[in-house]
Amino acid sequence: MSKEEKYEQVKVALVSCGSEYAGIQSQLDSAAERVNAKLVYPEMDVSSLDTIEMEFGLQVASADLKLMMARAKAVVEGTAPVDGVFVTSCFRCAEAAIVRNEVRRYIHKNSDIPVISYSFTERTTAATLLTRMEALTTIARRKHLLAREVQTGLTAGIDSGSTTTKAAIMRDNKLIGEGWVPTINVIESARKAYDIALEQAGVKEEDVQALGTTGYGRFLIGEHFKAQLVQEEITVNSKGAVYLADKQKGPATVIDIGGMDNKAISVEDGIPGMFTMGGICAGASGRFLDMTAKRLGVEITELGKLAVKGMQDKVEMNSYCIVFGIQSLVNSLAQGSAAQDVAAAACHSVVEQIFEQQLQEIEVKEPLILVGGSSLIEGVPKALGDLLKINVIVPPHSQLIGAVGAALLASGYVEE
Amino acid sequence: MTKVFIYPTNSLILSDLIERFGHTPLAMMGQVHEKITTIGIDSPPLNITPEDPKHGLKYAAVEVPAGVRGRMALVGPLIDEAEAAIIVDDAAISFGCMGCARTNELTKFLARDKGIPVLELVYPYSDAEGKEFVYKISDFLKSLPKE
Amino acid sequence: MSAHEDGTITKLVVISSDSVLPIDAALEVYESEIEITIKETCFGTMVTGPEDAVNKVVEKVVALDKNHIFVKERGFPPGDDRRCRAGRGGGPRPGFHFLRNEIGMLPIIGKALDDYDNNVPLEKIVRPEKLKVSILKDIIESELTR
Repeated sequence: MSKEEKYEQVKVALVSCGSEYAGIQSQLDSAAERVNAKLVYPEMDVSSLDTIEMEFGLQVASADLKLMMARAKAVVEGTAPVDGVFVTSCFRCAEAAIVRNEVRRYIHKNSDIPVISYSFTERTTAATLLTRMEALTTIARRKHLLAREVQTGLTAGIDSGSTTTKAAIMRDNKLIGEGWVPTINVIESARKAYDIALEQAGVKEEDVQALGTTGYGRFLIGEHFKAQLVQEEITVNSKGAVYLADKQKGPATVIDIGGMDNKAISVEDGIPGMFTMGGICAGASGRFLDMTAKRLGVEITELGKLAVKGMQDKVEMNSYCIVFGIQSLVNSLAQGSAAQDVAAAACHSVVEQIFEQQLQEIEVKEPLILVGGSSLIEGVPKALGDLLKINVIVPPHSQLIGAVGAALLASGYVEE
Repeated sequence: MTKVFIYPTNSLILSDLIERFGHTPLAMMGQVHEKITTIGIDSPPLNITPEDPKHGLKYAAVEVPAGVRGRMALVGPLIDEAEAAIIVDDAAISFGCMGCARTNELTKFLARDKGIPVLELVYPYSDAEGKEFVYKISDFLKSLPKE
Repeated sequence: MSAHEDGTITKLVVISSDSVLPIDAALEVYESEIEITIKETCFGTMVTGPEDAVNKVVEKVVALDKNHIFVKERGFPPGDDRRCRAGRGGGPRPGFHFLRNEIGMLPIIGKALDDYDNNVPLEKIVRPEKLKVSILKDIIESELTR
């Protein structure tokens, strides 16, 4: 989001059965406030509560879940005019999870209103909610930004991720410089990645016409480097993925396996629709693959080649939780499993987690574009393709997705 | 005067009848009042903070959702204090602090498990049922110690 | 209702009476205490102020038609920003829906209280029992042979 721009306030319908009672309402409010959104309880016809279960087709024991369905209906029918919907319920509640998913699907199917769904604990903080809220409001505002398909001028993008920091320099729709360093100190790492990219491109920082930042450190580096665009990674990565894969028109599904969490985004004409961000455990992320490589004594860049040679069926591994995942890794090695089989099992396990935890929440439409550093580990796209029985596209420079997306979107500020 | 826990915990009818017959209703509204007038806490709308689901651990384990434990942090102390209870079952119309079925199951269990006099009824939808409802509650309340 | 630490209380007075109008209740309040504020809503009158004063005036209002005027405490004072529809935007709070349902039952409750006061004996309500399988079987058979 650009600092110069003053966005109009957007109304986000809060469809929830207990956020007020879980102690996180103020976190929700403050995340919304930071992106100039107002959370509202959708206005609805009270009598619809008497009939909503049969109308929706879902009978529930908890009355507040009826309220969720009735509010969703009011949103879809336009009784409650809102710009976006945040559907949320308690983590570990099965009844609410069923309703939450169906309500999300119902809104998505019956309206163009962007909707996200999230399950919270009392430890959920505004920081966790912010990225989701920011993406939701960006989509809701349908900014001119999202329509951009061609990079113009000389622009740069920096993606400050949890594990690595990436930088990209682009000129006239071409990538001319890139930097990729581990994230240690957020600003220093960004400086380093940016310098490498600038040097490779053979341009000076002052010649860069616009800069975009994204990733966990986006606000900090955005301020430090005086970026024109500071944008969360859902929007940026969607754009970056369809741009690099040259699939800017029509539907696409983007899966980004990050160092700490994963994103699964269903995209239409480069604009993100439904998306999910994993967040409970890093067992399904690049971090687990990193740890597997270390334990096997190979470079992370070699893990993929090893995995392709292995048979994942020979090793039992479940990385639902990163601690248990490591435990099964250690056990299988102790039992004499071959390194390539363990590597294959690790890739398969990560992909399985993405399938179980995230792909259930979005509609998977081809092409499926896999991005993020983990996409370069050959075993990962292979495992994903095997599991989904579809062809997985890994675009060139897929690890730079955020940086390229940010540079592309930042070029919207060049003409100004 | 007997302290009578009511379920639904925010019921107008039960709260009214208990006071009418000279006892003290233990209701959610009082809890909410205490909560929202607590000085130094600013966590609208109900002033429930992440600390509340932790207090709720007294009544439900950590694998029970935060929304249940947060509600239990309000309801639990009322049950602790209760000397009698009236439970009226009608899940269909219970919203808000009564809107979570899991909380309600636990609430009713704890009230029954306490070993205090408990009257269980269903909401009336006809004059005849209403009469039975009121008579049973009146008789129950009259049977409770006044002093 | 137990006393609150801050000494104030809000009570919701709901009138389900043929003889008393909400305005009568409001007048009763206006005439009594200066420290009390009231707010009329579509469902009843909210009375806020020091606990003793509120209780006294509510007692007077109820006396206007005791079996058809109902009272409960309310957690929030009227118009509280945290709960007010205007402040938070959109539709009513969840508690409203439950209140709406209970208020619908008040005529039944009021009538029953009148009967109770007049010592009208309670008739036994016969509730239909679940149909016996043997009877259901007979019905099915007789329907099929028609």
